[in-house]
Amino acid sequence: MSYKRLEPDDFVISADSITAAMWVGGVPTLTYFFTSSTQEASTSGNYYLNIYSSSAATDIQFAVAYANLNGSGSELYNNAVTGSSPTATIYGQYQNLILGDENAPFIFGNTTSSDFWAISIERNQYKEAIFPGSLFLELSGSLGVINLTDDSNYVSTVAYSEAGRVFNLISASAAGVKVTNSGTTTDGWSVNSGSYGWLLPDIGTILLNPVALSGSIAAGGIGLAVSRSFDAPGNNNVRIYKAISGSTASTFTLNSQETVTSDYVFVRPRSSEFNYSENPSFISGSTGEVIYSDFINNPQVYITTVGLYNDNNELLAVAKLSRPLLKDFTKEALIRVKLDF
Amino acid sequence: MGYLNNSIVTVDAILTTKGRQLLAQGGGAFTITQFALADDEIDYTLYNPNQPSGSAYYGEALQNMPLLEAFPQETQTMKYKLVTLPRGTAKMPILDLGYSAIVIKQGASLAVTPQTLNYTGGNQVEASGYTFTISDVRLFSTFEGVGINTPSVQALNYTSTIGTNVSKTVVGTTLNLKATTVNTLFGSNTQLQATLTVEGRDSGARATIPVTVTKVS
Repeated sequence: MSYKRLEPDDFVISADSITAAMWVGGVPTLTYFFTSSTQEASTSGNYYLNIYSSSAATDIQFAVAYANLNGSGSELYNNAVTGSSPTATIYGQYQNLILGDENAPFIFGNTTSSDFWAISIERNQYKEAIFPGSLFLELSGSLGVINLTDDSNYVSTVAYSEAGRVFNLISASAAGVKVTNSGTTTDGWSVNSGSYGWLLPDIGTILLNPVALSGSIAAGGIGLAVSRSFDAPGNNNVRIYKAISGSTASTFTLNSQETVTSDYVFVRPRSSEFNYSENPSFISGSTGEVIYSDFINNPQVYITTVGLYNDNNELLAVAKLSRPLLKDFTKEALIRVKLDF
Repeated sequence: MGYLNNSIVTVDAILTTKGRQLLAQGGGAFTITQFALADDEIDYTLYNPNQPSGSAYYGEALQNMPLLEAFPQETQTMKYKLVTLPRGTAKMPILDLGYSAIVIKQGASLAVTPQTLNYTGGNQVEASGYTFTISDVRLFSTFEGVGINTPSVQALNYTSTIGTNVSKTVVGTTLNLKATTVNTLFGSNTQLQATLTVEGRDSGARATIPVTVTKVS
């Protein structure tokens, strides 16, 4: 017999949470940021800007978009329709996705905001979710620089939205580490304008609060200007891109998170099993004699491959050992085969 | 007193092309129920029972050899299975197909009934039958296995294969063939060629022979 049935005890299913560096090439921190002039000039450039990790503009890392409840900061689609513009479309899009109510406002900390910047991470990068506590984002404004992280290390109860978990963005000295000063509250929020935004790990999105960021240093801001001109291009996507990329280099650190379900199959060839081979080099001649007389009573075979089959003897999965494993009548083996889904 | 080595070998498996197909198909077809072991890549002529350093070194040429990664094509892996046979087995089961090569004319029919030699005390037809795989199904208008009537085998045998250059596998104790009558397959050639692989479902014995279909007109 060449097949052996597996017992129920031979199967173990395990789900493991795997975290990894977010950006292309397994890098946890982006320091240089690039845009594509082609994409910026296209129709999609009215809505968002793709951000790349290299000047070749081949690997999108994330996109930035400005959203405004009243449609300010961009030209109207039609002058006869007040308030209908790309920024209003973006606002409605995230309102639907995160709040689930077209009348509900975005409240960053304790402050209602009619606009925000959205950073939407490329799905390939964040895999299943952003790993809370891993965010470290450096933003530059006309008055200075601020570092942000999320407050997942400081909340005892996680808040949920229609888009899953929500964490507030706070002033930080490192990823997951809050820092406070005269411009912030003890929670790490701006002193007058609430938190600096939201981290929505389950949809790979970060929202930034323009009111908090545009304030003075004393108010916890960095003077990051935002244009709320009506029916006029505000270039707010470019503004946030410049704030992220800084004057020379900046820092954007994140980790991804995913749950990998593994199926472990324990393969147990017993001492009396699988000791002969159908390998053509195991026999000599055309009548099937084993190649060495020693192999008649003491065959020595080398396991290189494990095949997993269904009832129809169809090969579903295959695993190779890193080196041949000797098997004879005095040896049993226990091989753990891992199948990832 | 020393510690026993209780470590286990852990390997990562990949899905085969067939495995991915059945996983996508759903319906419980992708259910692992059994395993087999193989020694693909091992050349036992490198085993040296005359090694002057002693029996511990007989297999030194094999034990540390680097192995290739797994191939996802199910027809290219698990070729040479390890089998469970009684200790003292002097002859391995081998397949007698009755043909060392098949040459068949366009439109002609042929039946192949394998027999397993040296198996469980003699020469016999295996109870679970044989797996027949043709590397290019287009060569035959009929390629059917008969003689095994379990529901799972019947389901396998009735699986249709898209008429492109792909393999097809059927199960039975006898394989019925009818060569294609389609002239356009030949192009400017007078012959079409493929390989037929037969494997004993109980013994694991395997044989591959060339198949040639010759153009009639």
